[in-house]
Amino acid sequence: MRRILFTVLFVCLAAASWGEQSQWQQAETYYREGKFSAALSIYEKELKNTPNDPYVYYNIGNCYFKMGSKGLAAANYYRAFKLAPRDADIRHNLALSLASGGERLVPAGVPEVLHKAFFYLSYDEVKGLAFIWLWLFCALGSVWLLKRQFKRTLLASAAVLAVCFGWLYARHALEQTPLAVVAAPVAEVRSGPGTNFPASASVPQGHLLAVQDEKDDWYEVIVKSQGLKGWVEKDAIEQI
Amino acid sequence: MKRIFLSLLFISWAAWAGAQVSVTASVDKTALTLDDELTLSVEVNGASGNMIMPQLPSLPAFNVYSREVQRSSINGKTTTVFRYVMLPRFVGNATIGSVQFTYNGKTYKTDPISVSIYRNAQAVQQARPASSSAKAVSTGNYDSAAAKRPRETADPNLPPLERDLANQAYARGNENYFLIAAVSDKTPYVNQAVALAVRFYYNRPFYDAPYKKPSASNIFMEDIGSSQGTQSIGGVLYRYEEQRYQLTGPTPGKATIGPASVQYVTGSSPLSVLDRLFVAASSSKEQTAQSEPISLTVRPVPAAGKPSTFYGAVGTGFTVSAQTDRTQAEAGEAITLTLTVKGPGNLKSTADLQFPSLDGFKMYAAQPTSQTTAVGGKITSTKVFKTVLVPSASGVYTIPAVKWSYFNPVSHTYKTLQTEPITLQISPASKTNSGFDFGAAAAAAAGIQTLGQDIAYLKTAPAPAATPLSRLSVWQTLNWVMLALLAASVLFASVGRKSLANKKAYSTAKNRLKKAFTSEAVAEAVADYLQQKLRINTGSLPLKAIVHALTKRGITPATAEAFALLWQRLDAARFAPGAPDTQSAQDLAQQALDILKLLEEEAK
Repeated sequence: MRRILFTVLFVCLAAASWGEQSQWQQAETYYREGKFSAALSIYEKELKNTPNDPYVYYNIGNCYFKMGSKGLAAANYYRAFKLAPRDADIRHNLALSLASGGERLVPAGVPEVLHKAFFYLSYDEVKGLAFIWLWLFCALGSVWLLKRQFKRTLLASAAVLAVCFGWLYARHALEQTPLAVVAAPVAEVRSGPGTNFPASASVPQGHLLAVQDEKDDWYEVIVKSQGLKGWVEKDAIEQI
Repeated sequence: MKRIFLSLLFISWAAWAGAQVSVTASVDKTALTLDDELTLSVEVNGASGNMIMPQLPSLPAFNVYSREVQRSSINGKTTTVFRYVMLPRFVGNATIGSVQFTYNGKTYKTDPISVSIYRNAQAVQQARPASSSAKAVSTGNYDSAAAKRPRETADPNLPPLERDLANQAYARGNENYFLIAAVSDKTPYVNQAVALAVRFYYNRPFYDAPYKKPSASNIFMEDIGSSQGTQSIGGVLYRYEEQRYQLTGPTPGKATIGPASVQYVTGSSPLSVLDRLFVAASSSKEQTAQSEPISLTVRPVPAAGKPSTFYGAVGTGFTVSAQTDRTQAEAGEAITLTLTVKGPGNLKSTADLQFPSLDGFKMYAAQPTSQTTAVGGKITSTKVFKTVLVPSASGVYTIPAVKWSYFNPVSHTYKTLQTEPITLQISPASKTNSGFDFGAAAAAAAGIQTLGQDIAYLKTAPAPAATPLSRLSVWQTLNWVMLALLAASVLFASVGRKSLANKKAYSTAKNRLKKAFTSEAVAEAVADYLQQKLRINTGSLPLKAIVHALTKRGITPATAEAFALLWQRLDAARFAPGAPDTQSAQDLAQQALDILKLLEEEAK
């Protein structure tokens, strides 16, 4: 009886895994045939099952890019980049989609090496690293308190811990700033939340925006590359 | 001498000229109704040059709503007439007091004038002889006397729209309130900007006048702005409120501008409670002024000679410019090319400009944007076309001149504008992404020819499991709890150990002293007690300092003195020559035990 139960469980798990694989294969087939919207609908279903899979975001970004929606592509690449920043494909596609809107992944004046180092770990990984160092520091601190030993090691670990928490603080500040990308072909930046306010600028799709506030169907944003502030319709942008 | 003579001559001339100044005041009627206006004319003869306005007396029975100055010079004699148009407020006799006019330091006064204000026209007729030449009494919106005036015509040198408006106004000069509309051109071309003006004329006050703009069919209508002005019609000063629009016909054919209307209430202001008591209810009337509808015929632009770069703009004074956000870039970097068209009328309905394809660039065109601004009664449109250019390889490239044509409705010809060519210097890409590239950044110098740039291919399987580091952060609450427990246990261990040692200090010392057979053992037991219980490190302190530390911890001077004697004896026994004496060591231990007991009791 127990053997039958294990067999049924194994078959179920294998079937679920095969079903997932076949979905990815089906989406890839659609993509290769140029049926990008069909592939997109499969990846969007996958996203509901695995909401933190960077590759799903990446593939959704690819579909949007091929469909000509560079803004939505950039938004999804950015989500993938936040989860898997060391992936070269994700970095490349994000940089390319941003460049099509006149934006840069690495801000002007910042060495790329520094940018890569800063984003070498994901936000969760930086948090994990900070915890490891905190444990180590506490352990060394305990030994020092009880035995008065490893004082130099304790001081060194305190310095590393400070660097870790500084890094974590900087990344946390970035995480707390809601970003968005212009998804419509053009977003009009107005002086107030309504079409009765005059448009001061039009921003083509793919531009990065920092969301400051929201009111009804409008977001107050700052166009990061231009330092321009104003209100855009929610439908025109995609929050990251 | 000559200068004095000339000065005297000038002063005497000025005195003579001043003496020749005369000021008179008159009204156009002395009997009137509440609906009538009264014109007070102050005529100044003989005064020339700069002069200040006459000072009117207090006029509680009238509202003055219009002022006009007219100056004429005949045979060197200057006459200046100041006209004030007033409306009566109450029924009864009213007096217009003396008007004061100051000229060259001398003040002139006119005689007071009496006028009678009646409730209705019949009362005025009874009060006035039948042969009176005074202006006929007007009622409502019609002035019968004005109908007899000869028709004026507008200056033929005025622009067509202004001339048409002025002539329409002269034709309606027998009405106190009227609304007219005119367009600058009734047969415009497609997309040609045409001005529409709607004017509301009035020579009496009104209030609460909502304006209904005209409807437009088969033609776009945009608000340009409003203005005010005055016009003299048959010697009567009219004020007008003007609203201007810009019309552009998107397709050839008939177009119609419907009537505009103003619903106004005659009178100076909503009646106050006092006014309602004394003024007839008929003094305020609600009326409607309406303009005539206008028909236009929108003509197509001629097909002959139409250039391929014509996108539908019609007008004059267009400009085209092109610029890039930078002229130097690396291969693969985006450059934004912006082409701006500015000109009159509405450029929204013109077709989008087609950028010619550029070899060596991938082009991503953005949606064009257009903006209109009304300045000086005219609309100026700006249409901006943006294209992102991504160079695929290094080199020097030239963005050629972009041509853009429009139709000039004055000369009936097509004109073509073009931008200046722009030179771009593209250097090889200085960096690659993680050692591989999908396009432009590949080194052209290595014999590899770059054909284009594209995104990396799909991921064909889900992402690998999250790294242990990122999983660790998932348990961050547990982490914090564990860390807190660790810190608490370490603190407890550290502090507790000291507290335990403190409590056990006496019993430990007592056990050690009982087993002590040498003076060294006794000294060590006493020293450890002082260390654990009273935190006095005897090894580094002289006896005097130890005694001082004991007194600071609450030990009485007698006990401290006893301790000092014990310590001296221990020192003497430890450093005495010969074999250790067990008996004296046990005596010392017993003495030490007694003193430690005292210390235990007295220590704080």
